[in-house]
Parts: sequence; structure tokens; C-alpha cells
Amino acid sequence: MSSKTDWTWFHRLGSPRWFYETTGRWLPWLGLLTLLLLGTGLVWGLGFAPQDAKQGNSFRIIYIHVPASFLALAGYYLMAIAGAVGLIWRMKLSFMVMKAAAPIGAALTFLALFTGAVWGKPTWGTYWVWDARVTSMLILLFLYLGVLALQYAFHSQEAGNKASAILALVGTVNIPIIYKSVDWWYTLHQPATIKFTSAPSMHPDMFQPLLVMILGFYCFYAVALFLHTRAEILRRERKSSWVRELAIKEAGL
Amino acid sequence: MKMQFDNFQQLWDMAGHGPFVWTSVLVSLVMMIWLIVRPLADRKAALQDVARDIARTAQAKENLKGDS
Repeated sequence: MSSKTDWTWFHRLGSPRWFYETTGRWLPWLGLLTLLLLGTGLVWGLGFAPQDAKQGNSFRIIYIHVPASFLALAGYYLMAIAGAVGLIWRMKLSFMVMKAAAPIGAALTFLALFTGAVWGKPTWGTYWVWDARVTSMLILLFLYLGVLALQYAFHSQEAGNKASAILALVGTVNIPIIYKSVDWWYTLHQPATIKFTSAPSMHPDMFQPLLVMILGFYCFYAVALFLHTRAEILRRERKSSWVRELAIKEAGL
Repeated sequence: MKMQFDNFQQLWDMAGHGPFVWTSVLVSLVMMIWLIVRPLADRKAALQDVARDIARTAQAKENLKGDS
């Protein structure tokens, strides 16, 4: 038995080439699974789930709103952790994942805000309120955009990476505020429907399609993250021999 | 489990909430497709850049050989 812990997996994980090739094998299957889950969830939620007694059909927007919000928050953790790993272990790939997570998170946060606004009109009577939950989500959008902007604000990639990672880490303060905003303040936004500690406050007929949509969004997030990271890997590793070989193969030179 | 709407008109209209629900769905689909298409295009562009670079270098070498 070897006395040293085997760290090769960790170094392999940090190799952009390994990431590129492995995700390339996973992507077709993951893409298929995403399409199946999102297709099923959407048809189920929009057509078959019973309508809400109070909100009527506008409640069907939650089948997009809740999963998008989930992933907007989970994606922020992922981005901040990737930034921290990059800062601590100087892992190149980790910074690439961080950069890839920023536009996806921004898009999902925008979707959460947009679908919330469109749902708010028939339900609350207004598109927008400066409610604690809504405002903290808007701050999340600005944090994502800030991390993205810092990537392009420096001449050196390294300085940009560090600045982005630090902003991402500081911004994690906002995440518990978003989660707890509906409990700490008197808000218009309703409290969480799904909790880890108790059964969902929702009829199973409505909850099951939501669960399918959430799973679908997780898969979609993985696909989008892989694709963004792969593009970034090729851009940053364009001098390396394996990328040159790949380019020659694809161009048919 | 049964279909909540009798026909497409009802599904589209959703008892008055159709515009809100379908706007949400449409904007989400556009956004999600963009999140897939954009990195795919970036990947292709990055590889084409590298290929162009390699071709240019090879051409330059060829020209140098011709001069000497």
C-alpha cells in the first residue's frame, strides 16, 4: 500500500485537455437527457398540471421561474468556488470554469427576474416591486455582470482572473440574503415552496412536473457550462500542440 | 392526470393568462438557445483562427524557400 495519497486525479482534473476530451464524450448524452427532461416537464407543467385555485393559469410560469432561480443561485456558488480553487491552487482550468459560469448565471438570473415580473402582473398587479427578494436577485444579476466585466477590464488574463474571483467570493454574502429575504423581511414574494426540511407546500400533481423541470435545468446548466468552458479552453490554449492538431483535423488541412 | 385544455385555442388563451405564460416560455427558450449556440460558434471560430494561423505560417515558410 502506498503511503502517499494519490493526487493524480486532482491534477488530471486540472488539465484543460482532459476536460475538453471528457466533456466531449459526455455532451451528446447529456444534451439528449436535457431535451427529454425539459420537453417532458414543459408539456406536463403547461398542459397537464391542474391550475392553481387562486392564481389560475399564470402559476404555470413557476415551471420556468423556480428552476431558473435555483440554478441562478447554485451557479453562483459554483462560480465562487471555481474562483477560490483558482486563487488557492492556481488552477488554470478553474478560472476558465469561473468565466464560463458568469454569462450563464447572468442569463438565468435575468430569466428568473423576467418570468417573475411577467407573473407579477396578473398576480400582484404590477411588473416590479422593490421587494427584498426581487432586489437581492437584481444585485445577483449585477454581481454576475461584474465578474464578467472584470474579465475584460485588464490587459493581463491573470489580473482579470484574480479580480473576478475576488468579486465572486465577496458576492457570496448576497446568496444567504436571497434565500432568507422572504423570512427576514415582510415581502410580497411568497416563501419557499420546496424545502429540504419538510414536504413541499404543493400538491404532488403540480410538484412532480416542477421536479422534472428542475432536473432538466440542472442538466441544461451542465451542458451550457461545458460548452462555454470548452470554447474558453480552445481560446486560451491555442498555442498548445493538441489544439493545433485539433484545428488541423477540423479544417481538413 | 388529464389534459387541462380541450383544444389549442384554450391552451393558447389559458383563460386570459396565455400572453403572460407564453411570453415567459418564449423568452426563456430564446435565452436558453442562445446559451447553447453562442459557445458552439465561439468554439468553431477559435479552431478556425488556429487553422488560419497554421496555414499562414506554412505559406510564409514556403515563400522563404522560394526566395533563397
